[in-house]
Amino acid sequence: MNKNIIIKIVSLIIVIIALIWTLYPLIWIVFSSFKAPLEQFSIPPKWIPENFTLRNYKIFFSNTEFIRTFFNSVLVTTSSTILALIFGIPAAYGLARFKWKHANLLSFIILLARMTPPVVMVLPFFLISRYLNLSGTYIPIIIACSFFSVPFAVWMMQGFFSEIPESLEEAARIDGCTRFEALRKIVLPLVLPGISATSILCALISWNEFLFALVLTGQETRTLPVLVNMFVSEKNVDWGVMSAAAIITVIPMIVFGLLVQNNLVKGLTVGSGK
Amino acid sequence: MSERKNFNHIQYILPSLLFILLIFLIPIVYTLVISFFSWNLLRPDLGIKYVGFQNYLQALKNPFTWETIGRTFYFVIISVLLELIFGFSLALSLNTEFKGWKIVQSIILIPFMIAPVVVGFAWKFIVNNDYGPLPHLLINLGLTSITENPLLANSTTAMFMVILADVWEYTPFVTLVLLAGLKALPQEPYEAAYVDGASAIQRFFYITLPLLRPSIMVAVVIRTLTSLRVFDTIFIMTGGGPGSATETLSFYGYRLAFQSYQMGYSSTINLISFFLAIIFTLIYMKLIGWDSNE
Repeated sequence: MNKNIIIKIVSLIIVIIALIWTLYPLIWIVFSSFKAPLEQFSIPPKWIPENFTLRNYKIFFSNTEFIRTFFNSVLVTTSSTILALIFGIPAAYGLARFKWKHANLLSFIILLARMTPPVVMVLPFFLISRYLNLSGTYIPIIIACSFFSVPFAVWMMQGFFSEIPESLEEAARIDGCTRFEALRKIVLPLVLPGISATSILCALISWNEFLFALVLTGQETRTLPVLVNMFVSEKNVDWGVMSAAAIITVIPMIVFGLLVQNNLVKGLTVGSGK
Repeated sequence: MSERKNFNHIQYILPSLLFILLIFLIPIVYTLVISFFSWNLLRPDLGIKYVGFQNYLQALKNPFTWETIGRTFYFVIISVLLELIFGFSLALSLNTEFKGWKIVQSIILIPFMIAPVVVGFAWKFIVNNDYGPLPHLLINLGLTSITENPLLANSTTAMFMVILADVWEYTPFVTLVLLAGLKALPQEPYEAAYVDGASAIQRFFYITLPLLRPSIMVAVVIRTLTSLRVFDTIFIMTGGGPGSATETLSFYGYRLAFQSYQMGYSSTINLISFFLAIIFTLIYMKLIGWDSNE
């Protein structure tokens, strides 16, 4: 009985430390985004701003680059996520349902594509899109983002599909459904939570992608992470405006992520439960 | 019938397979080809020359390549080790019964969803010697010797700060994988051990740890793979510096291509990264049992 209490207390202490460690940078950035320049440069640094100001957000939003960049990020993320679902869902279903002698080779290729360092792909992507005269268009960056999200969607959806018992489909097929109808009417509704979590994670991959965006996008097509980088690499970093930019960049994904949290966790750990 | 069945699954898999082959294999083959050429993008007058294995010999002979591989593994090993230690302690703590854990889980998930570029910025800000809170915290704790130089301007501390940012970002992932593993553990061995009067520590070392080994290995291999490709946080925080103290393989490959414009040599270096990715992917597949034909 005593030991149980000790374990509980130790657990509580570990969790509190983890929370402080996780929140430390987040709270610092949130507070900084509301500080006036004078307070940002106070030494020693102050955590809580004395005068809350929206100045940093105003500067960021009045930047004409921002609206365009935000729109670019939404466009690239949506397109590559749709591509990932169109290609990924049928393939995941095929891999989960059919025994095929080349299935292992296929799984290997898909997994390797997911695990390949971006730097390996970025140079050929850059040279090929230059050769095809596609530089400065949205096509290279959308294709590049789906290079990561398609294999990811296959890998994650495969886990969700294998959880649906095959007998359900067989029953439907005995009742006269074709395999495709059984997939559409019986299986897809059941894996819908999995699909939503997969879309969020695919969107996360594209929204956060930096190296490809840095190399493949021009002034007209650049996405938010590239804009964030441009602010940081300026000689005199305006830490306040930067913090506001950082928060605007991460808020959409945090909101979406927390909405599908349970399935997201399940999907992330699906590869390890095998 | 069997032919019809074969056709059936091909039609599900084929579109995605073709897509992946098209945008994966073509670039890889292209990289392989130009790794045998000398090609400077800024000097079109020199042309694109076939040089055989010269890029490979240069890469093998240059001590900088080996130093970079060493730095990359230093980064990977330290960060994965720290993530494993922190992630495991946290997973064990969250596996106890407590009502508030659900909210805790939501909060620790946040770093995972933040763009690595933003993580890099946040940590660059926090460790900034003038305006960041961390150096002042260290001074208040009496650790003035660490903060004599700006933390990102000193080779040893710069590497450690980059690792810290990585640990902050990916400990949640390790925690979640291990927590899922812990929740899936069978109860019987614990009951038997309880009857036999095993202590909590004995139960941990003789039951939890061996049973959890698959989850631990999966977390380690996936994190090794994703940490080998680290680029964004290093680019933002240090740009590979000071000197080349935080330059990893990914960063070196990038610098050769987009700062020195040596397309051929950069491809050779990138193939080393790719080769490492292949090895660890094979290990991963072996771990989750994809190589055995069920």
